[in-house]
Amino acid sequence: MIAGIVLALYTIVAAIWLPELGRRAARWAERAPRLAIMLWQAAGVSVVASAVLAALAFAVPADVVGHGLAELFAICADMLSDGSGLTWTSAVALPIAVLVPARAAYCGAAVLLRAHVERREHAAMLGLLGRHDTDLGAVVIDYDERLAYCVPGRHAQMVITTGALHTLAPEQVTAVLEHERAHLRGRHHLVLAGAEALARAFPGVPLFERARTEITRLIELLADDVAARRHPRAQIAAALVRLATGRAPAFTLGAGGETALTRVRRMLNPEAPLRRRERLTGLAAVAVLLGGPAMVALVPSVSSFLAHHCHSLFIL
Amino acid sequence: MIRGLGELESTIMDWLWARRRPASVRDVLEGLRQERVIAYTTVMTVMDNLHTKGLLKRRPVGRAYVYETVASKEAYTAGLMRRALAGSGNQAATLVHFLEQLTPEEAAALEAALQVFPPRGRPA
Repeated sequence: MIAGIVLALYTIVAAIWLPELGRRAARWAERAPRLAIMLWQAAGVSVVASAVLAALAFAVPADVVGHGLAELFAICADMLSDGSGLTWTSAVALPIAVLVPARAAYCGAAVLLRAHVERREHAAMLGLLGRHDTDLGAVVIDYDERLAYCVPGRHAQMVITTGALHTLAPEQVTAVLEHERAHLRGRHHLVLAGAEALARAFPGVPLFERARTEITRLIELLADDVAARRHPRAQIAAALVRLATGRAPAFTLGAGGETALTRVRRMLNPEAPLRRRERLTGLAAVAVLLGGPAMVALVPSVSSFLAHHCHSLFIL
Repeated sequence: MIRGLGELESTIMDWLWARRRPASVRDVLEGLRQERVIAYTTVMTVMDNLHTKGLLKRRPVGRAYVYETVASKEAYTAGLMRRALAGSGNQAATLVHFLEQLTPEEAAALEAALQVFPPRGRPA
């Protein structure tokens, strides 16, 4: 029961307070986007896991767990069949333990399925309207708007418009395509889908909303960094600016302005990467986020298990 | 096989877009035969598919259909790009853009940032 309360409190505090912590560490995240993405993902998993484990801890008394799996299953079966031993806490907690992961899985599947269908339709039209440029390794579309994007998935392809090709210098084109290739190689669409799924599954939870925004932002910084390994940073910055200007106002949504500015600044004025100790701290935080809830949940069971079996030994 | 048909769809659409007026299967066949060996039934099947997909409209003339593109290639391209951009906001997992949409003010701020550190090797 105590483990349940601890986990439930952790779930609430983490869901509200972790985004605030993330906001304070935004500059730090920009120096290590990959690690920062891992931290946001770990935070999301941590909160979902602790919610489920808290519900389980309320539903199933720890002293039962200690007596072995067979007994646990027997008690669960009793609870489900005739309601004997079913307290009101377990009546509330058990559905939560089932519904939370089910909802996350359902939303994840829905996001992936919809993206898959949209991409297939998009790719079919690209086949009719574009032409594959073997030198670029991308599909070129006759269109004045300056656009570059990638269509992830099994038949992944990169797309660039003639408007973008005319605006960008050749080395900027290769830099832009390297950025898109980084998205495809890193399977960034799955990372985005995961963040999207959690935010949709549990709307209004500050952590998931913030994680989606931050991961969307950080994934661009990460792809810039990968592209910058082989291409001059200044060219990536110039490409960003050239693609940002001269667009039709009808399309402007004003969503990514701050991110774009951050990206240009980072490319022109790179900050030192994280020191070894900072990196290890980040990795340790990932481990704690992922392992913490399970540890807390296991403490009463383990102690009860030990008590039970040591007791047996004592009798022997 | 499917890839081959997809390529033929694209070739036929391009031919009709370039022609800018209605054409029968026979017209298309003769137009394409200058470049490749192809069967009448193949062209007919593909054009029928394109009609089913809503890319071609047709009306009967004599014993055959005369086909015409529903909209220009430019109109289709504009529609596709607009959908690609519209989807980027709420469905980031579908397409990953190089750059999100910016307001003119934000674009100007980017340009200003670049002025401070002009890229080397190329006049800004």
